[in-house]
Amino acid sequence: MPDADPQLRDADRRRPLFRPSHTTLLRVALAGLGLFFGAGATVMFAYYHSSWWHEVGIRRDQPVLFSHRHHAGELGIDCRYCHATVETSAFASMPSTHTCLTCHSQIFTDTPMLQPVIASAARDEPLRWTRVNALPDHVYFDHSIHVAKGVGCTTCHGEIGAMPLTAKGEPLTMRWCLDCHRDPAPNLRPRAEIFAPTWTPPADQAARGRQLAAQLHVHTTPLTSCSTCHH
Amino acid sequence: MPPENPIGPHEFPAGASEWPAGLSRRQFIELMAASLALAGLGACNRPPDKTIVPYVTPPDRDLVDGALYYATALPWEGYARGVLALSRSGRPTKIEGNPAHPDSLGATDALTQASVLSLYDPDRSRTPRRGGQPVAWSAFEDAWLARHRELLAQRGAGFALLTEPTTSLTELRGIHALLDRFPAAHWYQHTPLARYDRDGMQDDYDFVRADIVLALDTDFLLSHPSSLRYTRAFASRRRLERGRVNANRLYVIEPSLTITGSMADHRLPASPARMRALLTALTDLIEGKEAAVKLAENERRVLATLARDLREKAPRVVCLASPHGDPALHAWAAATNARLGAAGVTHHALPAVRSDGDARCAGDLAALTMAMQRGDVNTLAIVGANPAYTAPGELEFPAALKRVALSIHLGSHADETAALCAWHLPESHALESWSDLRAYDGTASIVQPLIAPMYLSKSAAEFLFFLADPPVRDGYELVRDTWRQDRADDASFDAAWSGWLRTGAIENSAAARTRPRTTTATPLLSPALDARALTVLFRPDPTIRDGRWSNNAWLQELPKPLTHLVWDNAAQISPSFAAAQHLENGYLIEVRVNGRAIAAPVWITPGHASDCLTLTLGYGRTHAGSIGNGLGYDAYRLRTHAQLWHNENAAVAKLGRQHPLVSTQTHFAMEGRDLVRVADAAHLVSFAVETPPSLYPDVAYRDYKWGMSIDLGACTGCTACVVACQAENNIPVVGRDQVARGREMHWLRVDTYYAGVAENPRVLHQPVPCMQCENAPCEIVCPVAATVHSAEGLNDMVYNRCIGTRYCSNNCPYKVRRFNFLDYRAPRDSTVHLQQNPDVTVRARGVMEKCTYCVQRIDARRIAAEKENRRVRDGEIRTACQQACPAEAIVFGDLNDPQASVVARKAEPTNYALLGELNTRPRTTYLARLVNREESA
Repeated sequence: MPDADPQLRDADRRRPLFRPSHTTLLRVALAGLGLFFGAGATVMFAYYHSSWWHEVGIRRDQPVLFSHRHHAGELGIDCRYCHATVETSAFASMPSTHTCLTCHSQIFTDTPMLQPVIASAARDEPLRWTRVNALPDHVYFDHSIHVAKGVGCTTCHGEIGAMPLTAKGEPLTMRWCLDCHRDPAPNLRPRAEIFAPTWTPPADQAARGRQLAAQLHVHTTPLTSCSTCHH
Repeated sequence: MPPENPIGPHEFPAGASEWPAGLSRRQFIELMAASLALAGLGACNRPPDKTIVPYVTPPDRDLVDGALYYATALPWEGYARGVLALSRSGRPTKIEGNPAHPDSLGATDALTQASVLSLYDPDRSRTPRRGGQPVAWSAFEDAWLARHRELLAQRGAGFALLTEPTTSLTELRGIHALLDRFPAAHWYQHTPLARYDRDGMQDDYDFVRADIVLALDTDFLLSHPSSLRYTRAFASRRRLERGRVNANRLYVIEPSLTITGSMADHRLPASPARMRALLTALTDLIEGKEAAVKLAENERRVLATLARDLREKAPRVVCLASPHGDPALHAWAAATNARLGAAGVTHHALPAVRSDGDARCAGDLAALTMAMQRGDVNTLAIVGANPAYTAPGELEFPAALKRVALSIHLGSHADETAALCAWHLPESHALESWSDLRAYDGTASIVQPLIAPMYLSKSAAEFLFFLADPPVRDGYELVRDTWRQDRADDASFDAAWSGWLRTGAIENSAAARTRPRTTTATPLLSPALDARALTVLFRPDPTIRDGRWSNNAWLQELPKPLTHLVWDNAAQISPSFAAAQHLENGYLIEVRVNGRAIAAPVWITPGHASDCLTLTLGYGRTHAGSIGNGLGYDAYRLRTHAQLWHNENAAVAKLGRQHPLVSTQTHFAMEGRDLVRVADAAHLVSFAVETPPSLYPDVAYRDYKWGMSIDLGACTGCTACVVACQAENNIPVVGRDQVARGREMHWLRVDTYYAGVAENPRVLHQPVPCMQCENAPCEIVCPVAATVHSAEGLNDMVYNRCIGTRYCSNNCPYKVRRFNFLDYRAPRDSTVHLQQNPDVTVRARGVMEKCTYCVQRIDARRIAAEKENRRVRDGEIRTACQQACPAEAIVFGDLNDPQASVVARKAEPTNYALLGELNTRPRTTYLARLVNREESA
């Protein structure tokens, strides 16, 4: 190829395009870029695995300041009094306004805290609760079979009997579900303890869980198939 | 054979590999880059909060899970189909047959399955209209009150009522109340479809007892009010049990190939005129004489065998012809049954159930049209019917309707008739109103609503009683008044009433079968007409019938049995007629009858009579709605009142243009392969083969091992299973253009093959769902493990993993996988979403899907069994297709359960795997098609 620019001086031709300082600059920039993306990825990873992302422990605004600690923990009202279909149906069900009024037509009727409930009954308009535990739409979860096979309320919903305002107790991610579906024994309890508002596994849970799994016919074979939860 | 591929000779459908117009490559990349960036931003926030809304006062029954079945009945041409309708959270979502109903026996047909979609049809009429403008009901009530006073003064003179024939006693009571109120009024009835009564009686047949069945142009396995019961009975004589079968033999003589004809062991295609000649010959042959009529070689052989069979097997034989077609054929069949001793054995009589022959009816649509043309009608109320569309063209009904001063139309849609009437009023769907219906055998059912009327509609009964005696009365009280009868005691009536609602059939309401009153004298059959004349046959469309189902997208997209056409009707012709006239599929012809002409595309149907042409009703509609408008041709225009079912004065001319027809099956020959195997009932051989070794490791399925068996001997190809699957699994409708590109979404298809000579082939049906292969070819090619095996051997499809490579579909030898090329979901605010099954994911664009063995049903029953610490019982899980099938051709169950019926079926000698040589080890296997031919014929 002939010389492109005959005007170009010889001195310019001999001068290097990049000086040594450019090398340093490049190294710093590369390291900086790596650090930037690395830090970014770390932050995102940490965020994605944090309870903040999974909303664990985060209370939601509700129309009524309802306390599970008071009703379930202190008064000892059974879970099934309000969540009546938890043993028979996929959905545990939310109490109707009239369920609240079984007691509250008699007690604390004039407290401001209860006014939304009274108003709901008076106007025949349902209360609109904000969901705390929500699964994606492509997940088909059934409460009744979990309760029947020895999985207690607090295993998934946290120490509900200690919550003044309700928050999500567990991340409810697919990995979290599968941990139990692969090895349910650590979470199984006897029939009498299913609806306990607070529960800590006893010291011999490993042996007891295995025994319960056999007794309740908990087969793990179908539990990890995709179509068990997704169809 | 129709060999032509309707999408053309190329490998891919037209346009499939072209760049879309108006979008350059640069613009495309810009758009994709922007989409990617925005999608990334969109992922930053969480999904919006959801709310839970509990009841204020809980219902008396637990509706939380929402799955409740109600026993009710749905109309099929006015006759009841006993059904169990599933209500999910207060919405009817699925129709199943009612096992306690003696005429439906737990099965359903395609129309009944699809009726739930009609309830949610967005084009349903929502408000009363005066001159097309929406008004309140009170406007009509005021107008009618004024007219009512005038009519009362004239004893109803000038008032005409037009209804469809009904089996509802409450509606009939309303009609009679109206006639009592207005003694000078006239009541007319109109149906464009068949009548099933003659002289106040109906025929009934016992196909369980009949060894020889001769069907003369009657499609009793599909187009009959008792088709479900008949199919069940017929199939019971076609099923192997422990390697043995007591098979019946079906002879069919018909001009146009039907579902019944496709099941025939011996079939003769013959025009209506030729049929008379053949029966004259058959009469001679039964008597042992030589046939006086000159017969072709194949006709002579078949008729000789038939005559011998009828003589030898009498009285366990039955001849049947429809009472609406050629009256001479019906009389011949009845007389032949009587002479062979079959009357009272296989051929019975029932009192007519539908109101066609009611003594107070003044006549049919022709009589009404004449009265209107004379100016004798000043007030006309039309209930349910759509005569402006379904009237034979020669009646000129729309012109006559304009002469009526006050015309009122009650209908579910603002249809062709509504457009011409002064008033249109919305009619309630059967799932949202109280009524009663009777089945063909006379069994009465109470029709109960599952949902309050969605729009400002009234039921036919409410409307009729309102016309007679305003104000409007509630349908519930009207139906109860009908059935209260002489029960003065309210408590006993209430107890009986709730029992009827629970079972869905009123006990002992069916009439007793009697011996048919017939003479044994064979009627004189008039001689054959000129053999050169072309006969046009008018037949209801197999999926949308007379056009009342036009706006039902499931039925429009349901491949029509035998032709597999969708979204269109065609003029069916025989291969020899096509060859003589140089016609190919989709060529337009002009059909001319009595000076009226229509243009119709032809479809070559093997087995069609060569001198006949079949037109189907129900298309060419202008006011059906957004689905049904502007499809196909309108055959009603060629119909004449005197010859509703065939006309022998037709002329055909080739138009030189084409109309591309869309069919879901493009090749109807098996090309020497044994996709559908045929077994001879007299010489059963075993198809059992040793399972070849596989390179894949053998997996032991220790728990459940689901499998299915499909009995091709019983399957009639009625396609009820296809619609049942669509309703259960939220399968979208994609439309005509997408089907033309091969993108139909049905998880279950029914393939049809023609074997033998094209003029009179053997027709074979084969339902093909996902085979759930144990060595599934789809699984090994998926790069993201979106299709994997479950522990029970199901081939699971995981929608959320699928990235849409379509490798699985390419590697599937059965071609049962369906891909969402576009977003086929209905618009967000569409009412059709209310139908959808909440247990099945609605798939998005770019996702593969396929038959799951109704895994949601498996899961639900397994959970129910696990709660009781037991195994799932055999028969507890029924797939949607199995539950719908009237022939009980499909059986599903656990292959590890030695007592399971599916294991027994698979142990039959005729069990075989489709493409078993590929060693895919399919869990779904077939029992061979059974034929019971006489070799000499």
